[in-house]
Amino acid sequence: MWLPLLGLVLGISLGLLSDIQIPQAYGNYLSIAVLAALDTLFGGIRAHLQQVYDDKVFVSGFFFNIALAAALAFLGVHLGVDLYLAAVFAFGVRLFQNIAVIRRIILVKWSDRNKVSNTNVPD
Amino acid sequence: MTMGKQNRKKGRNILFSIVFLVLGFILAFSYRTLGKNNDVVDLESGTFLHEQQYREELIGQQERNKELSDEIASKQNEIREYEQSFSTQEKDHEVLVEEAKDLRLLLGAIPAVGQGVKVTLRDAEYDPIEQNPNDYIVHESHVLRVINELRIAGAQGLAINGQRITSYSSIKCTGPVITVDGRTFPAPFVIEAVGDMEVLSAALHLKGGVIDSLLRDHIVVTTELLKEIRLSAMRNEG
Repeated sequence: MWLPLLGLVLGISLGLLSDIQIPQAYGNYLSIAVLAALDTLFGGIRAHLQQVYDDKVFVSGFFFNIALAAALAFLGVHLGVDLYLAAVFAFGVRLFQNIAVIRRIILVKWSDRNKVSNTNVPD
Repeated sequence: MTMGKQNRKKGRNILFSIVFLVLGFILAFSYRTLGKNNDVVDLESGTFLHEQQYREELIGQQERNKELSDEIASKQNEIREYEQSFSTQEKDHEVLVEEAKDLRLLLGAIPAVGQGVKVTLRDAEYDPIEQNPNDYIVHESHVLRVINELRIAGAQGLAINGQRITSYSSIKCTGPVITVDGRTFPAPFVIEAVGDMEVLSAALHLKGGVIDSLLRDHIVVTTELLKEIRLSAMRNEG
């Protein structure tokens, strides 16, 4: 349980302490990558709550989505079309859907537990 | 079974930790690179910003040009004023130079060259009838009279035996000779005057004038009109 948290802390500190400078033009890729990572993360949580979670799907999706988003943004910059907006749109919509699903599942679970406790009390 | 489950859990933990490491890194890195300068919009519209910047620069340059041309105009005005005042000053200056030249001529500080008259005063021949030799030798008063007459007639430069006469000069009688500015000269006395020769000789030959009175005093006077008389500058060695 502590290992992923440690990884997160390590990653954040690494990101904050490293003094790698990237050109301003590539800032888009980074934001897209962040969006892709968050999307995949919430997708994983949703899958876990829906009991369809798979390690391979999650991990491959995580890295592949990041790479794809960055590639799309790269292509968009070189074509002169703001293609990264497509990625932002897609990831944004999926992010909201995933969060909505998670919220609903949690609500259902919570209400179920309440119902159970409520039914339990009179007994 | 439990061992396999634990292994799988362990592997999942490692996987998760890698995923979270990457996530954290990306988050932190993007925060660090993009968060510190909020001009993400500027990145998207770099060309527009450049254009804007160039336009502002152009406007600035044009304003500067306008200022500079205004400055040029004002400077040219100033120059014109200077030139005008300079030309008037030049005229004044010419007048002053002429005046200074005249004054220097009068002072004898510079050589005087020009037409003029040459007056020679000579003692009369010895006359045994005359008892007093003073009656037939040239006195300093005679010289003075000639000098004054010439000066009044407008002589620019005067000299006695080559010694320039100025307004400061003194002419003294010292026995048979006269002293001009400390230098003694015997007769005959050659008085040279630079000026309009007609005017000068006319002034000298006035009826009842200088030459008449000199002749009455038995002095031999000869006047010559010369086209060119050269008077050296006054010598100050005394």
